[in-house]
Amino acid sequence: MTGDYKFNTLSLHAGFTPDERHGSAAVPIHQTTSYVFKDTEHAAALYNLEVGGHLYSRISNPTVAVLEQRVAALDCGIGAVATSSGMAALFVTVLALCSAGDHIVSSSQMYGANINLFQHTLSRYGIETTFVAPNDPNAFAAAIQPNTKMVFGEVIGNPGLDIMDITVIGKIANDAGVPLVIDATFNTPYLLKPIQNGANIVIHSLTKWMGGHGIALGGIVVDGGNFDWGQNNRFPTLTESHFGFQGVNLYEEFGPAAFITRVRTEGMYNVGPCLSPTNAFHLIQGIETLGLRMERHMSNTKKMLDFLLHHEGISWVKHPTLPDHPDYEVAKRLMPKGAGSVIACGVKGGREAGQAFIENVKVASHLANVGDAKTLVIHPGSTTQSHLSPAAMKSAGLTDDMLRISVGLEDFEDLQADFEQALRSAAKI
Amino acid sequence: MKINLNGEIVFASTGGRNFELKGEPIWFIHGSGQSHLSFMLQGRFFANRGWSVIAADMPSHGLSSGVPLDTIEAMSDWHIALMDSLGVEKVQIVGHSQGGLIGLDLAHRYTDRVSRLSLVATALSIPVNDNLIDMAKNKEPAAIKAMIDWGHGSEGHSHDHTMPGQNHLNYGVQMMAANKSGALHADLKACVNYDNGQSAAAMITCPTQLIIGQQDKMTPLKFGLKAAEALKTVNVTIVENAGHMLPSEHPEEVNRALRPFFTKS
Ligand SMILES: Cc1ncc(COP(=O)(O)O)c(C=O)c1O
Repeated sequence: MTGDYKFNTLSLHAGFTPDERHGSAAVPIHQTTSYVFKDTEHAAALYNLEVGGHLYSRISNPTVAVLEQRVAALDCGIGAVATSSGMAALFVTVLALCSAGDHIVSSSQMYGANINLFQHTLSRYGIETTFVAPNDPNAFAAAIQPNTKMVFGEVIGNPGLDIMDITVIGKIANDAGVPLVIDATFNTPYLLKPIQNGANIVIHSLTKWMGGHGIALGGIVVDGGNFDWGQNNRFPTLTESHFGFQGVNLYEEFGPAAFITRVRTEGMYNVGPCLSPTNAFHLIQGIETLGLRMERHMSNTKKMLDFLLHHEGISWVKHPTLPDHPDYEVAKRLMPKGAGSVIACGVKGGREAGQAFIENVKVASHLANVGDAKTLVIHPGSTTQSHLSPAAMKSAGLTDDMLRISVGLEDFEDLQADFEQALRSAAKI
Repeated sequence: MKINLNGEIVFASTGGRNFELKGEPIWFIHGSGQSHLSFMLQGRFFANRGWSVIAADMPSHGLSSGVPLDTIEAMSDWHIALMDSLGVEKVQIVGHSQGGLIGLDLAHRYTDRVSRLSLVATALSIPVNDNLIDMAKNKEPAAIKAMIDWGHGSEGHSHDHTMPGQNHLNYGVQMMAANKSGALHADLKACVNYDNGQSAAAMITCPTQLIIGQQDKMTPLKFGLKAAEALKTVNVTIVENAGHMLPSEHPEEVNRALRPFFTKS
């Protein structure tokens, strides 16, 4: 018991103790909404946050807690709250920190719904966002205002694959008295632990690589506990009287756990995007093999890059591990084991050729997800962005010949054969 | 709450309830490099049941300002000064680890200020190895990590927690890292230099109690039992599967042992 367990051991064991009565070796699915109190004193103690335990599954649940404790261990957090989706994790994070009149500085190159939440939803509630290029640390510094409550971005941007230097931007944010919140969906703690590299709060869409099987949506907020909320007067939601628990001051009472306590007592209690116990169970099964799967994702991605770079039907290939990627050096420093398993590339022949490729793949699945154990492909030009003109696509950082590939775990020979034949069909267009 | 003591700010947790002097407060004294946060689940438990609770951060710890105190005796004197400033005459002490040494010294030198003494994961002396003291001075983050690692028993290392979703080891590291640099080193030196525990114990007359972690590597079970012997106390609770950070790792067992020991006005 000296030193913490390593990554794969934590992925398999962290956060779970078999119960004494039955000794179930697998994490049981506690499919229940509520928990029988021992007596009135016990009930009151739970409501007062005097003792640990569960009272209602919107707030916490034993199966969900194992998932939370496991991801907190993997990501070096002091605690975590799991949510019904990755988007819900981002929303409850914003809710805990920001009020009307507040401001966020965010990367401009992110998953569409992340951008939409900031640009179109939060703005209706008086929370404004300044978007800056993820690879321009000075722009982050310049955009921080006295009412800025968080700096946000994705380490590996979806879908543009820009890399955010979280060590540098984390220092910029923290020097200005603001936390760095990171969406780590594309890197997972296997490739990079943001909390150990400059971030204060991490969110994941567990739907993707963490689960890996594509059978359950889920999200999580992990609190690094490494940001001093009391250093300035910026965070009244954490340093002033809380509406619950006799007006407790979360910062004084719970110290490093102030933020994650607010997420649970406000985000879960008042809004309620809780994760179902069954989905938590499925996600735990996935996380057990995260390390093994990520190794294979990385090796297949390398082989796929090599294949695409040498294929005459492909006009360009973008991935942060390729020396011509503008953020190549940053990616290598932050993520020496690999920079994710999503590849962007262009098919010769433009929008129609891209469409033909997608319609002819057989092993790869054509769908709108990433991070599955199976290889996934999408052609934004003929699907998600089909309504855009080539010019509008360009300004969104996309081109009409672009394919997004989420490289899976299949035997690479089969993937290669599948891509060869689909590219042959595309070349006929 | 925040108290001004000789020009410095002292933060004292009151268990999440407003401090109201009723009877003899339960006075929690934290261990080396820790803070009021190590008693979070004790403070809230007793404050919500009508006791007056104080868990103060010593200088340079938690949310208190000032320079760290460097002897156990100076720490005792500081606690007496804090009691005076709050108009508290007598307290029921819970001391964890180094806080236990302070408790022994207080109960011995200030007999009229201490009515009961509960010692949690402590011993009559706490010899700290030179390597750790050196690390605390020159490589504080490494010393913190080592203490958190050694300080936790099987629950901490399994990353399981009674509070859903929380993590003992990472929380412990961040709690200690939030203290001012130098606080841990001063504490460890104070522990090493305190050698009055045996004679203090022999002279203590107030009721005493010991709560000991079976897997404690920092103040091992046999030293806890020796302290019980010196104090002639039969009120001993050994918590199974528990390490040194008993109050946070096994809050329910600790609270269950503490509760019948205290008097209430
Ligand atoms: C980077 C990133 N963040 C967040 C999300 C949202 O996750 P969810 O679908 O679990 O809400 C996605 C989904 O594609 C994503 O790619």
